[in-house]
Amino acid sequence: MIQIEQLSKTYQTKHGTVKGVDDVTLEVKTGEIFGIVGYSGAGKSSLIRCINLLERPTSGTVKVGGQDLTKLRGDGLRKARLKIGMIFQHFYLISQKTVAENISFALRAAGTPSKKIGPRVDELLEMVGLSDKRGVYPAQLSGGQKQRVGIARALANDPAVLLCDEATSALDPNTTLSILRLLKDINRKLNITIVLITHEMNVVKEICDRMAVMQSGRVIEEGRVYDIFADPKTALTKEFISSVVSFNVPEEILKKCDGTIVKVLFKGEVAGDGIISDMLQSYPVKGNFLHGAIEYIQELPLGIFVMELKGAQADVSQAIHYLEQREAIVEVMDHGN
Amino acid sequence: MGIEWERIIELWPEIQVAFYQTLIMIGISLGVALVIGLPLGILLFITDRGLFWENRPVNSVIGFIVNIVRSIPFIILLVALIPLTQLITGTTIGPVAASVSLSVAAIPFFARIVETALRDIDKGVIEAAIAVGATPWMIIKDVLLPEAKASLIQGITLTVISLIAYSAMAGVVGGGGIGDLAIRFGYYRYDNTIMIVTVVILIVLVQLIQQAGDFTAKKLDKR
Repeated sequence: MIQIEQLSKTYQTKHGTVKGVDDVTLEVKTGEIFGIVGYSGAGKSSLIRCINLLERPTSGTVKVGGQDLTKLRGDGLRKARLKIGMIFQHFYLISQKTVAENISFALRAAGTPSKKIGPRVDELLEMVGLSDKRGVYPAQLSGGQKQRVGIARALANDPAVLLCDEATSALDPNTTLSILRLLKDINRKLNITIVLITHEMNVVKEICDRMAVMQSGRVIEEGRVYDIFADPKTALTKEFISSVVSFNVPEEILKKCDGTIVKVLFKGEVAGDGIISDMLQSYPVKGNFLHGAIEYIQELPLGIFVMELKGAQADVSQAIHYLEQREAIVEVMDHGN
Repeated sequence: MGIEWERIIELWPEIQVAFYQTLIMIGISLGVALVIGLPLGILLFITDRGLFWENRPVNSVIGFIVNIVRSIPFIILLVALIPLTQLITGTTIGPVAASVSLSVAAIPFFARIVETALRDIDKGVIEAAIAVGATPWMIIKDVLLPEAKASLIQGITLTVISLIAYSAMAGVVGGGGIGDLAIRFGYYRYDNTIMIVTVVILIVLVQLIQQAGDFTAKKLDKR
């Protein structure tokens, strides 16, 4: 659905040129929810704004639905944007217009006949759960409600793609969750491809199918969210993951341990299979759980345990080997004394 | 410097005429300022860097002309525009003739006010409209003007009050009006009564306009 090829965006500032986006190539498939994660200044906002050409890339191409947007200008670009919805961190509703007027604005942009505007607005309001707020001005709405209006506006013209620019960053955790559920719902019902950028890893964990991690304008890691959570490659990705799935064992506890400290990771179906108890029964090794949880990412379990294994060095090695055979990923954190 | 009530009664018809002349001058020049200054101000804004009609040459030329007109002292503009006034109105005296110069001064004044009011709009709202696929005309009509509505009304108030002040100088070209009355009687002839009466009328007028402006701006603002 979206092909980004060798896209770069440089900015001229007083202190010279700054690379906002540096040679990014990405593909987002039809119907998936794709998350782009990075700290502020990583270039993710520039990247998403290049997708609908709110910012024109310095080089490279952006294709949405097979159409190269970088070749379009003026009215052609405007028409292409009708099929790319966008929502924003600060909603950006027209404060002097009612909820219904804000949505009909988008419909009028597409040249919708006025007879059809009213019913379509009702339909959209129903979809985002704001049917009772038709004639209300944005100032009277909560943040979550404003974002729902933003979503209704973005979906007005049946876009193929929905871009979410930090759409939940200004919302509290509960509201964030309800907006994410709404997005997921829309994605499933309407088969809309969603690209979202965020600095909150839990957003990605909650709804994204695939993700990319950005740093200094580049994509440093990309893949299925589940795989990246299970096996992050870069330090930055690990850092992001630890913000939602943290397995730091306090120093005090670690000092008291004299066995081998291992982090064991079970993917998917095997997560609850009792592999650890099998291992403890098969080898003369004692196991102490220091930390552990089963995280559900996209409804797939991911089991992560930190444990201390005590026993003869050879037995511990064999026990670890056994775990690996049972498709667990084992990371030895400390070899013990 | 006491007030002589007989003097007020004696000159009352003249005060009425002057008041009427002031209204004509303000009405015409405000109308022209709105009709020409508003689009000009919008053009100044949307042709600026980073906006949807970015056009440096157009922006610089309009900005330059606006600045030139605004730097000319009104009294000089008044005299300099006598030929133009003759051309447009067929006369060089009276409130209608004075309205030509007042309009010329009011257009760039109001255009800058419009530009400033538009600058206060959150750029994100404009961007959201672009992202939705809105035409430039829709953005002007449905985003820029509504979002700047309250400050535009404040700007109109400011323009009217400035025009009242300017119109006092219209006496130089025989434009008449309340301010002219104050200068002719109060200043040239040391007629304190008339000066005080006219000044009081001006104060009341300005107060009323300001209050009406504030009220309307507040009433229309949905934020």
